[in-house]
Amino acid sequence: MKRGVLKLLLKAGKRIRRSSHPTSEPSVAPRAQETGLDRRFEQISTALGASSDLVLKEIRLGGAAGPRVGAAYLDGLSDTRQLFQSLHGNDRPLEEWLNASPEAVLEELRRTVLAVGDIKVIDGIENAVPAVLAGETALFADGCAQALTLGTSGGEKRGVEEPNTQSVIRGPREGFTELLRTNTALVRRKIRDARLRIDGRQIGRVTKTDVAVMYLKGFASEAVVAEVHDRLDRIDTDAILESGYIEEFIQDHAFSPFPTIYNTERPDTVAAGLLEGRVAIFVNGTPFVLLVPALFTQYFQAPEDYYQRADFSSLLRILRLTSFFVALLAPSLYIAVTTFHQELLPTPLLIGLAGQREGVPFPAFIEALMMEITFEILREAGVRMPKAIGQSVSIVGTLVIGQAAVEAGLVSPAMVIVVSITAISNFVVPAFNMAISLRILRFLFMGVAASFGLFGVVVGLIGLVLHLCSLKSFGVSYMAPYAPLIRADQKDSLLRLPVWALRTRPRSIPNSNPVRQAPKGGNPS
Amino acid sequence: MTTPASAPVSVRQFTILVFLYTVGTTILVIPAGLAAVAKQDAWIASLLGLLFNLAAVFFYLRFSRSFPDMTLAQYYERVYGRWLGKLFTLSFVFFSFIGAATVLFYLGNFINTQVMPKTPIQAISILFILIVAMGLRLGLEAIAKAGEILFPWIVLLFFILIACLLPQVEVHKLLPMFEADVSSLLKGAVSVTGTSALPFIVFLMFYPAFVANRKKAGRGFVAGTIAGGLFIAAITFLSVAVLGADISERQMYPSFSLAKRINIGNFFARVEILIAAIWFITVYFKILFYLYGCVAGLAQLLGIGDYRALVLPMGMILVVYSQVVYPNVVYAAEFDRTVWIPYILTYGLVIPIATWAVGRLRHRMRGKPTATSGDVGE
Repeated sequence: MKRGVLKLLLKAGKRIRRSSHPTSEPSVAPRAQETGLDRRFEQISTALGASSDLVLKEIRLGGAAGPRVGAAYLDGLSDTRQLFQSLHGNDRPLEEWLNASPEAVLEELRRTVLAVGDIKVIDGIENAVPAVLAGETALFADGCAQALTLGTSGGEKRGVEEPNTQSVIRGPREGFTELLRTNTALVRRKIRDARLRIDGRQIGRVTKTDVAVMYLKGFASEAVVAEVHDRLDRIDTDAILESGYIEEFIQDHAFSPFPTIYNTERPDTVAAGLLEGRVAIFVNGTPFVLLVPALFTQYFQAPEDYYQRADFSSLLRILRLTSFFVALLAPSLYIAVTTFHQELLPTPLLIGLAGQREGVPFPAFIEALMMEITFEILREAGVRMPKAIGQSVSIVGTLVIGQAAVEAGLVSPAMVIVVSITAISNFVVPAFNMAISLRILRFLFMGVAASFGLFGVVVGLIGLVLHLCSLKSFGVSYMAPYAPLIRADQKDSLLRLPVWALRTRPRSIPNSNPVRQAPKGGNPS
Repeated sequence: MTTPASAPVSVRQFTILVFLYTVGTTILVIPAGLAAVAKQDAWIASLLGLLFNLAAVFFYLRFSRSFPDMTLAQYYERVYGRWLGKLFTLSFVFFSFIGAATVLFYLGNFINTQVMPKTPIQAISILFILIVAMGLRLGLEAIAKAGEILFPWIVLLFFILIACLLPQVEVHKLLPMFEADVSSLLKGAVSVTGTSALPFIVFLMFYPAFVANRKKAGRGFVAGTIAGGLFIAAITFLSVAVLGADISERQMYPSFSLAKRINIGNFFARVEILIAAIWFITVYFKILFYLYGCVAGLAQLLGIGDYRALVLPMGMILVVYSQVVYPNVVYAAEFDRTVWIPYILTYGLVIPIATWAVGRLRHRMRGKPTATSGDVGE
């Protein structure tokens, strides 16, 4: 057994040696035995190309004459203070260490000495390298074929902060971080149930990004979970740097302006999603967690809806949907009405508008197009600029350009109002990726409105509805619970009834545990 | 997860589609025709038409029970054999194609004369056919869902129309009541059925095969027909009661003129183009299903598994044909008055009844119960 391992190691060592450059090695005695500590260090150093962040540290147990053990880790990825404290702090007498075989030393370290939680025994150098790359520490004992890997992943990381994208007035302030483990822990803290499952995997041939699929067993539909795994399995790429990569690989419809996968920075949103039978996909290195299946109506629901009073939340949702239509249609309606259907306007208003437009040399469509594009430019500039000046520049830009354009007679004041209300309505939509789809479609609608008036707008809307109705997210109708209409789900789609009335889980999302709570019996009313 | 191939259309969706298809172009043109024959009793004729519609629908329900898993075209081939069946399918394809072309002509003509006189009618037809083709390519499931989403908006607009016009109803315009003789009432009712119920024959290309829960779907068929019929009756009633029989008769599109009459406090006025969204949507579904009948029948005829490849070419031909199907509006009106009724009676009633009879006869002669037995009691 031992000989077999040795042979294997010999082979591995040879392979590494052949492709190695014998430079920048730590000063060691040449030609040590294959399991010797110096040889180990040399192998690891070779495998990583003698990277400057590789730390190879040798320690003698029980004093200067004790047996040698060596630790290899990457500086900045590992938190090794505890490891070295426990190694140095062990108070076994020197004789005990000297009498033990290398294997016994390692075993003793693993069982009693090391104050590190996650310790694995590995064979051979080829298993040690990936562990070191993942931030673990490889621990070798001089002359021992086996080695230990210690879960010392740590180093600098961003703390749990308030999320930037989905801020709330009332509700938890914590947001996900870039660290997968922290993120899963944030959700686990909210759902203390044994049925919460996390399936880990690595995606990306080069980046080897950790990806975790989280769901509640017995809540999420098995079919959806299987589908998620299946689609993740099919990803074969070299790099996953953000959950957006995964999203593009696994979404149902590549060519649609509408997002069919929901993303969030908020643990409470993920927890709520899991409880509704959704499946969450965590990706290491990003605070954005994916939730599937996603519904159209979900993009108009803010996490806060469930923390504020029901009546208020319902009104807010209606307001958001109204804003959706304003952001989508305001410029096109303005174009259609001023170009084709002037009779729609009350006469005094029409005269006022005509007076304003008197000096404007462009048709309403060109006017609207100029202003909308200007606004998009300002907005993009505001996003990319340093935070401190970004906002002020965009405000000043809008004001100055808006005012100056009117005074110069390039656009009419009414147009500025339309563009502003459109822009502000666009920000009401809680999900950024849904807001983007609006920005794209708005131009399309302006085009049909300019050519065909309100008829064009209605035709455009029919097309939009058809497209939305054809979308699916992981086999679930995107427009549910409106089409197909699911009566039971109307309690929490456009309206949000009181929490005690949300007795059953949404049927739009396949789940295997339909009832959420007991009927309102115990509630004082 | 659902398997869309099995039953893409739910009962509720089917009911809505029936409603939209019934209303279709009928709402735009029928009040004028009714006012012409029945004068101030036009609304009675439209109610009578609703009864005829129901009779037609009951026949279709009975007829469709002979082929629960087939489309109409498949059933033709089953009853008449391969070649004769294909001949019937071919005539059906032509019928649906011409139906689609006439509706497209009406839409283009309506927009060209009432809304945007300077926009070329071809542009309007092309734009409209583009989304019809889009709908057909997306398939029945998406179409049915879209109907479900659009339906509440139609109802909302309809109630706005009714509510805004109620103050303008003048009862004396309805008097004297029950003056029209039976023959003119019947004539009016038949024209209602001819434009709203008999074109249901194209629905038999997907009903009952692609509709969930056949028994309830039958009830949905009836409910949609009743709702659509009442909708038409309400518009006819308003036309007569607000505009008067004379003006209704002389208008090309009385329901559109009706919407022009809306005036709430001088600021909510001339909103006819908003109300016109009702018929843009219903006409959309009318053309869509005519074209569906056409391409689905053609696919069956040519032995193509999926009709989708045929949608764009047929759509292009349709745009061109809609420009020449009627040389002018006068011809169209004349065609509707004299040719359309016998034409639709042939395709919507005579051929189906004949097929039904032949099918039963062959079934009896064969003397063995088949899977398509029509004797499942209600």
